[in-house]
Amino acid sequence: MDTHVTLRDLPLANLARKPLRTTALLAVVTVLAVALFGGTMLGMNLGNGMRSMERRLGADLMVVPQNSANQAEALLTGSNSSTFYFTRDIARKVERADGIAQATEQTYISSLAAACCEEKLQIIGYDPATDFVIAPWVASQFQGELEDGQMVAGANVNVSTDGTIELYGRSWPVVAQLANTGTGLDNSVFINQRTVPDMVEASAAVSKRVMPEEYADKAVSTVMIKVKDGYDPQTVATNIKRLDTRFADLGYVYPGGVTAATKTALDALTGYMAAFVAALWAMGVIVLLAVFAASANERKREFASLRIMGATRGMVNGVIAKEAAAVGAAGGVIGVALGALGILPFSALIGSRLQLPYLQAGPWTVIGLALLAIVCSTAVGVVSSFAVMGRISRGDADIILKEGR
Amino acid sequence: MKNKLIASVPSIVIGALIAIAPQTFAHACTGHGMFGACHWSQQTATGIGVVILALGVIALFSGPKTRMGLNIAVIADCLLLLAVPTILIGVCPGAMMHCRMVMLPTLIVLGVLGIAFAATGAWLDSRTRA
Repeated sequence: MDTHVTLRDLPLANLARKPLRTTALLAVVTVLAVALFGGTMLGMNLGNGMRSMERRLGADLMVVPQNSANQAEALLTGSNSSTFYFTRDIARKVERADGIAQATEQTYISSLAAACCEEKLQIIGYDPATDFVIAPWVASQFQGELEDGQMVAGANVNVSTDGTIELYGRSWPVVAQLANTGTGLDNSVFINQRTVPDMVEASAAVSKRVMPEEYADKAVSTVMIKVKDGYDPQTVATNIKRLDTRFADLGYVYPGGVTAATKTALDALTGYMAAFVAALWAMGVIVLLAVFAASANERKREFASLRIMGATRGMVNGVIAKEAAAVGAAGGVIGVALGALGILPFSALIGSRLQLPYLQAGPWTVIGLALLAIVCSTAVGVVSSFAVMGRISRGDADIILKEGR
Repeated sequence: MKNKLIASVPSIVIGALIAIAPQTFAHACTGHGMFGACHWSQQTATGIGVVILALGVIALFSGPKTRMGLNIAVIADCLLLLAVPTILIGVCPGAMMHCRMVMLPTLIVLGVLGIAFAATGAWLDSRTRA
């Protein structure tokens, strides 16, 4: 076995000969890297989801049936699919209220499981002629007219290789599949309003009818409203209630308010996460300083021997800094690898469990974040080693050696 | 003794997890009328897990060179484990299905950890003089 160690190999040889100390330092740096990489990525993904949701909400006010406001809010923010509706004549009357710039009707149907497994789809019927909510972002992937019987599928919907979706025993052609939004819309399919009765009939043929036959061609789940300049959504809601005494019982959902509430919940979550990561880093740096400072005392004679053998202060400091940098970089790489293993494969699960908009950042962002975590971990190791350098540089080598005799 | 534990205990733990997880929390989808790809991936993963666990137990009573060979076998098994739900058999195609959301990532994470620990064990044993 080769026992010759050069000054260049010395830092790694020192680490290898003190496995317990090296493992302890590695563990601390690894925890710091996991916290920085994982915490930042989770926060970033939640922020991406929130921005994506804000971009998808084009209406100022949603008018929904009585006792359906909570279901409508869940549809906007989470992945809970549901069916609720009133009749088109109510919708048309609502649209006559003062202060409405644009209004469009949508029909929501919650499907039973699609062709495979426990997947539940939200079927959204919209009117391409009046729509101002879905069309703007569908346009990025689909330009043409959505024909009767055709579908546009959300990102998470399982489209078969022949470009169809098996639903209620029928194959429905899919003309486009949308990009991931990180919201419940990823589990939705979009059809035009004229296809809704077909869908209801198909459901009746193979399972429980999703709505009574007489409602199939006149069911409307929500009237999406964009208010005129100078009006606020609450005023328009009041105007709608004045149209008919029964309208006071309808549900009024303000997507801006839902976004604000979600944003508040998300800000609180990311705030706590940032505070936790910061506290962990503060503790980690203190632990590293303590470990390096303690090792400085115990290693005084070791470094004094190097000085006696002709090594300059700079060389000794270089050995200490390289040891710390090696531990920091290795801990950073292990931490990033563990963080990535814990988050990247499970991003769909995390998104569905959080019930908040969650959109995984792109590969370049992840690589950038990984490099940042590794650089920070290396830097914290090197900075902590300065504590040792100061102590070692202070004393005279021969005195230190004599003290220990 | 230290090398023996590093080269065998992780295989035992990870093998047990690979065998148990697909039958418990990381199970296949349950809504199939007939068994789908995820069911067969689940069963295969459990079998591979049992083999990895057995290799770990044997490594506990073996010398360094044999342990090195056993860890190389664990690496091969973990690669097979990664290939089963991704290439060889597959899982359901829907992004929100339980098998894709939980089983697939769990098996990937366990497979990668298995490879990392087995490679470390094999490397440590390769440095031991016979």
